[in-house]
Amino acid sequence: MNQQRWRLCASLCGAGLLALLIFPKAQAAQPPDPLNSVMWDYTRNIFIGDADYRFSQAIKVDVPAFAEDPTQVPITIDARAFQGRIQRMVVWADLNPIQHIFNYYPSAGASPKVSLRIKVQQSTAVRAAVLTHAGEWHVGYANLDAAGGGCTTPSMGNADPYWQSHLGEVKARRFATDTGEGARYKFRVIHPMDTGLVDAIPEFYLQQVHLKSPEGETVVRMELSPPVAENPVITFDLTDDRKGYSLWLRDNGGNEFEQAL
Amino acid sequence: MKYLSGWILLWLALPVQAALEYDLQAEQVARNTWFVEGKTEDFSQENGGNIVNTAFIVTAEGVIVLDTGVSKRYGEALRQLIESTTDQPMRLIINTHQHPDHFLGNQAFADVPIAALEQTREQIRRNGDAFAENMYRLVGDWMRGTDVVVPSQTLTPGIIDIGGHRLEWLALSGHSGADLVLFDHTTGVLFPFDMVFYQRALTTPHTPGLMQWHQELEQLRAIPFTLMLPGHGPRVEDGRALDQMQAYLEWLDRVLTDAAEQGLSMTETMALPIPATFDSIALRRAEFERTVFHLYPDYEQAVFEP
Repeated sequence: MNQQRWRLCASLCGAGLLALLIFPKAQAAQPPDPLNSVMWDYTRNIFIGDADYRFSQAIKVDVPAFAEDPTQVPITIDARAFQGRIQRMVVWADLNPIQHIFNYYPSAGASPKVSLRIKVQQSTAVRAAVLTHAGEWHVGYANLDAAGGGCTTPSMGNADPYWQSHLGEVKARRFATDTGEGARYKFRVIHPMDTGLVDAIPEFYLQQVHLKSPEGETVVRMELSPPVAENPVITFDLTDDRKGYSLWLRDNGGNEFEQAL
Repeated sequence: MKYLSGWILLWLALPVQAALEYDLQAEQVARNTWFVEGKTEDFSQENGGNIVNTAFIVTAEGVIVLDTGVSKRYGEALRQLIESTTDQPMRLIINTHQHPDHFLGNQAFADVPIAALEQTREQIRRNGDAFAENMYRLVGDWMRGTDVVVPSQTLTPGIIDIGGHRLEWLALSGHSGADLVLFDHTTGVLFPFDMVFYQRALTTPHTPGLMQWHQELEQLRAIPFTLMLPGHGPRVEDGRALDQMQAYLEWLDRVLTDAAEQGLSMTETMALPIPATFDSIALRRAEFERTVFHLYPDYEQAVFEP
């Protein structure tokens, strides 16, 4: 009896293995990672689950050749190829201790290109996964070379009490876009963006960013995680070129900040 | 079999050992003055960090060594080179500024007075270990045994006469916050050290400002030198290195100002074209990216202000 069960089990396992060997092509909607990151299956599972996906060069993930300062690494995600079709974009770094960086939700009037600075702990793949309204995942990617330490270094602010009296202070400016259409907004907000990974400094970071139209409608919404660099500088592009936009921010301590742009 | 495996091991080990020789060459460039030129490359496992120029002056009262290089191994090779060039004893070692490729060879000269500007001593005391750690990561085993030796003496700017050489020390700040420059009145050789990079892109991690650096270079133009030995890149007999430095600094300042005015992000700024005028400068793209890292946030900040 036992032997029979063992045989049954073995043949089932064998069949499974055989299927894996014979039918890898059947998994075309779950292609292998072009960056060969050991964490791809793990992080993909966290952020997009078991859904089908494809890698896409149309989503541009721009990173510097080397992370000279691992606490302030600039990245630009340009998903304008998917303009008007984006339900949500998730950006993460495979090998960061906190992988998630931000979610980005554009509505009509947004041009899906966003720039900001992040912390990295070591060389890592950076991913920007776009979920379209049709329910498809398209994943942009880039490799970022770094020496590391960005997430476990105390924020500069901890050595300097400046932020305590200037928390949430926003400086912003409106610019022309590189295409000449719409408008670009860049802002900087004073916030320590503590990761919680540094001795005895709890996580303290901006969680929500809303860019609101003159009517008060949210045109771009972002959810940030602690790997966004201290004193975030974020650049948004809009197709709407009207003035009268405003910014609303909220941190995990419940502090809210609002600023006309 | 035993012998065979021995030979295989030896054969495997040989190329590795051979690769860790700096092979420094001293070129006599003026009376009593020797130039040890490094490569115009970035730090790598291949070059062991030999990307810096060092020099020495053999005076009648002993040898003055100008910077000690990137590692204990470099310092030892430099000392050997000097001792094979002259019988004069070591008189004084100078660390020209706080960057690691200029002082991490100090261990090889620990029995000789090592002098630097007061602020440089302070900077090495504060940042030295972090710099050394970074160098281990960049060039690996070449760094073996290297430890920080903080300069033991403070060098005061001004003119001193040593062994038949009238040496004028100037304290500038454009490159790293405290930058020594030496003019040897006796030979007409100007040692701007890292205040001047020639045919190799300048580095900006500790500059107090591009235009401050630019202005301080004007002071060097006023010096009646006949030969200039830059901190990085080949020697030059006229103002060409100063022209290149000033043109590049001006361009950097303008391109960062314009980018900030246009609202470009850091990655967009890093991708901007570098004018063909600078085509002869090694590592210009990589150093431009680093400069954007170091300085662009301040340029951005300036345009936020009303």
